[in-house]
Amino acid sequence: MALSAPQISSARGFQVVRFWRRAPNSFRIGAAILLAHFVVAVTGPFWAPYGFSQMGAGVPLSGMSWSHPFGLDQLGRDIFSRVVYGSHIVLALSLSGTALGIAIGSVIGLISGYVGGLADEIVQRLLEALISIPFLVLALIAIAGAGPELSGNPLLIVLVVALVYAPRVARMARAAALDIATRDFVTMARLRGESAWSVMRRELLPNASGVLLVEFALRAGYAPVLIGSLGFLGFGMRPPTPEWGLMISENRALLIVSPVTVLGPGLTLASLVIGLNLFTDGLARILGRTVQVAGK
Amino acid sequence: MIWRLIFGRLCTAVLTLVLVSAVIFAIMEVLPGDVASRILGRDATPESLAALRAQLNLTDPALVRYARWLGGVVQGDFGTALTSSRPITEILAPRIFNTLMLSTLAFLIYIPLAVVPALIQAVHREQPVDHALSIVTLALLSMPDFLLATLLLILFVIMVPVLPAMSLVDASTGVGDYLRALILPATTLAIVMAAYAVRMLRDNLIEVLESEYVRMAELKGLSRRAVLLRHALPNALVPTLNVTALNLGYLIGGVVIVEKVFGFPGFGSLLVDSLQLRDLPLIETTVLIAAAVYTVANLLADIGAILFNPRLRTR
Repeated sequence: MALSAPQISSARGFQVVRFWRRAPNSFRIGAAILLAHFVVAVTGPFWAPYGFSQMGAGVPLSGMSWSHPFGLDQLGRDIFSRVVYGSHIVLALSLSGTALGIAIGSVIGLISGYVGGLADEIVQRLLEALISIPFLVLALIAIAGAGPELSGNPLLIVLVVALVYAPRVARMARAAALDIATRDFVTMARLRGESAWSVMRRELLPNASGVLLVEFALRAGYAPVLIGSLGFLGFGMRPPTPEWGLMISENRALLIVSPVTVLGPGLTLASLVIGLNLFTDGLARILGRTVQVAGK
Repeated sequence: MIWRLIFGRLCTAVLTLVLVSAVIFAIMEVLPGDVASRILGRDATPESLAALRAQLNLTDPALVRYARWLGGVVQGDFGTALTSSRPITEILAPRIFNTLMLSTLAFLIYIPLAVVPALIQAVHREQPVDHALSIVTLALLSMPDFLLATLLLILFVIMVPVLPAMSLVDASTGVGDYLRALILPATTLAIVMAAYAVRMLRDNLIEVLESEYVRMAELKGLSRRAVLLRHALPNALVPTLNVTALNLGYLIGGVVIVEKVFGFPGFGSLLVDSLQLRDLPLIETTVLIAAAVYTVANLLADIGAILFNPRLRTR
């Protein structure tokens, strides 16, 4: 009993403070923006002034005012409330889609890279084919293929984001696996008689985690744009879901009358992506990696 | 040696494209929903659906239809669109022309938009101008294309009404109106591409400016301008070639959104329309072309890298 519990927690608290002070500016600003978005996403439904599909909240298209900071749409719905409600939808879809894509991609990549040979060659060609179809186009094909019954289903959007990301993540994970597999500790593990599965889980995965973390942050930064683009083109969530991209496309027709109904959701979306990109940039610097922002 | 390397890449590219066509066919086949019910709408009777399916040869096995389609493509025949029953090449030609014009203009705007800010940043590195431009490029990178397009629309159509809001053009549009219709979509694409390239070009320029041969050029008394434009810039541009090729790949996805925003009748909006109608032959063709552009862009970047950097040739 050398240390009592409060001392441990204060020591840990001190480490957090020191980490925060040493972190690059981009990391701190990005983290602050993300925190704000998370708080709104979690608490928003409790304090949003109006319901997300509540009509007659005020005079339709009456523009910006104190009670309606983002104005009102054609149906008299308060855009600010809709943006607040949309927050958890956008965040949940983006993060779960990205997480699923990273999980699938890293499993494929690590196995393919470690096993090698003909199997690896075949997987690589298939991934190459999927990567050569532009991001958005691949997502649109999958949604069109899923047919009208599934359109607007949040699960479909999550699967589509994962489908788009997995091949790109797999390529990164494979490169990491090829690099790690040449190190001495992997040879050691193999000589000890560990199975291929155990080597992958206990040696490759922990050592690739830095790469995968940066990859997750990078991809998460583009996911809201992808989901917004799908909504904008009418391939994403269905009305009256307050998804930001969909709202922008709904209110665009009356852009001349009330630009703020488009700017509100638009700039909110941009601020989320800026936050994610700054966070990624900072994270990559902390982990000592270089990264190109925006996962196009 | 070098030709063998390039030939190898070429073979991989062709294989990739064949796989792409198989992947698209598989996705559209495996997942539910079909074109017949899309054409006839919700109140179609089972008999009329069956008749239409038979008429469109949708009852043949998937592999037979795929083989028939692929055989046609090899001979330059892309088949006919299911929904409008016109030959696909006839539908494609004007759309591709429009998008080519759009992309060309976008690239013309893109080059100065990428080079000038990067030069300013590199010359004034770690000064307020540099930081300010870094923030601007990051903000632009983080902005979805459809939002950027909408902002430009607010700026140049609503606030300063000089340009048309919709870029609807057809064969009867005059050259002047055609160009005016192109400006907004092309600028949107150029800004997105440039934001990406500026960041890389700035870092390359700074690296080159600190190299020995630039110091040598300065020491032999060349003007700052000559050092920058004749010695530093060409060397910093070579690694940027790769980004430009990637940008070409982006462009093919970007036109999908941007053409839709401005109602421009190009290749991108055709792709979205064909997906909305589930017109499989049209989808296959347009997506295959998109993938081909991407693959060729990457191929060119690879070949460019091999030509510019002899060290890669031995690998």
